[in-house]
Amino acid sequence: MDPRGPATELIDDPTGAVGRLEERTGAQFESIARAREYTADELERLGGIIDSSALSDRLSLVLCGSYARRELTPGSDDDWALIALDPFPPYDPDVVRAMAACQAQLGQEGKAPGAQDVFGVPFDVETLVLNVGLDADSNTNLTRRMLLLLESHELLGTIHTKAWDQILERYLNYGIKDYRPPRFLLNDIVRYWRTICVDFEGKHAQGDGDDPKWVSRNAKLRTSRKLLYAGGLVPVLLCHLIPAADMRAFLSRWLKAPPTDRLAAAFLLCAAEDEGARTLGAYDRWVALMRNEDAREALKNLRQADRPESPLWAEIHQIGEDFQRGLMALLFSTPLRPLAPQYAIF
Amino acid sequence: MADQREQWPVLVAQAAALSSFAVELSAISEPELPGLVDYLEQGPALPFHYVSIHAPSKQRQGDEAHRIAQLADVLRRVDAIVVHPDTIGDVRHYAPLGRRLVLENMDTRKTFGHRAADLLPLFERLPSAGLCLDVAHAKDVDPTMAVARELLDAFPGRLRQVHVSSLDAEQHHVPLTPGDEELFAPVLDRCRDVPWILEAPPPS
Repeated sequence: MDPRGPATELIDDPTGAVGRLEERTGAQFESIARAREYTADELERLGGIIDSSALSDRLSLVLCGSYARRELTPGSDDDWALIALDPFPPYDPDVVRAMAACQAQLGQEGKAPGAQDVFGVPFDVETLVLNVGLDADSNTNLTRRMLLLLESHELLGTIHTKAWDQILERYLNYGIKDYRPPRFLLNDIVRYWRTICVDFEGKHAQGDGDDPKWVSRNAKLRTSRKLLYAGGLVPVLLCHLIPAADMRAFLSRWLKAPPTDRLAAAFLLCAAEDEGARTLGAYDRWVALMRNEDAREALKNLRQADRPESPLWAEIHQIGEDFQRGLMALLFSTPLRPLAPQYAIF
Repeated sequence: MADQREQWPVLVAQAAALSSFAVELSAISEPELPGLVDYLEQGPALPFHYVSIHAPSKQRQGDEAHRIAQLADVLRRVDAIVVHPDTIGDVRHYAPLGRRLVLENMDTRKTFGHRAADLLPLFERLPSAGLCLDVAHAKDVDPTMAVARELLDAFPGRLRQVHVSSLDAEQHHVPLTPGDEELFAPVLDRCRDVPWILEAPPPS
């Protein structure tokens, strides 16, 4: 890969790359910008109303999903969790008190996280780090670990950085090589993405073919879930520019930036500004739909059988196709081309 | 291909044999449009990830509103409807085509639609419409390809597809020549994420 031009400094920090892409191309990603503003406002509001004194210094309140992607909309779920570094017993008084404080403000008015108890609950990071692969690495364990690593934001507390570093260290503590994408981490990111896709079918089968959430899950797979995957995959591939000693710091800076900034930075680094403008433009249209209460409600009520005649679905389908084509161009028609087949497929 | 016009299943099979990624079904003459609409309304299983249709620009007979209404009938079956800007009379008729509407830059045989300045007023009135960059047309207007760069600079987010070919002395679309391949490369290098439609059969 041959990063060119003034975007090279983005290797050090991709934060703000969406704005840089706008400047370079004249494109405008208004919905992403508005969602970021709304996210910042909501984070500040929540930080002010949740009783921080209820959190002991063993715990942090983290937010995942659209909070961490900086694309919160008024209809977004509250994907939150209480994390501890070490395992804790049932009814641990610190945990019970903190949970009560969090539950008082989060997950209200139909915004509770999914029904699988992946979030909206307390969990420890040691379990995530000790159980990577094999039977003990349950679906829930994998999901929590990946979302903490790829899209999480600490709202209250102080242990998130240490927890995050422990997870990353688990992947980088042996076998990494200079200028080679770290395969252990790469394989788990790929595994997580494929798990989401396979679980989508599993949930469909459990719903006897009339799963009311099938369409919205499908839409998210084409957009925000794919962003999550690509936003993890691309920084790991870019490790081919980095000596092993610098990979921790590099991945820390990249994975803590919003995933839209990560992708925008990658397009800029790969001298693919035009393609980046269209790819982020497609994602901006998705965020616009999610910010539209009527569209959000219509998507929630749309059933699989009704998709072919739905203008809303036609729009989502086209967004997904445009987004996918842009990611394909980034991975297979830029200097990332030699890396993507070797590392992302095999 | 000219002798197989309107034989849509045959044309589709030929296109699929070359690539199952993208296809453009051309009803360049208006009498071809009803047959294409009928074919698409039957919902044929097509192998392509991207299907565009070329709206009539020749032998236009019916009124514009009727023509657009026919195109709107297959809106959900296609990804793009390519329209020559010089054929647009009343812009308001085209609004229902939304994001599917794609305006193509024109060659010098046409009096309008060559440059970004020509297309800008149309895009202002059709804010969801996209751009089909015809690189051969752009070269015809400006052999330095500055017009192609100008179009990409002006409308980076609107680009939906590219028409790739060379033009012969009579300005017919012919397979890409080696010289044009080299000339077009820097422009096409900015279009890696959108479908490239070959407007002439590739050399066998």
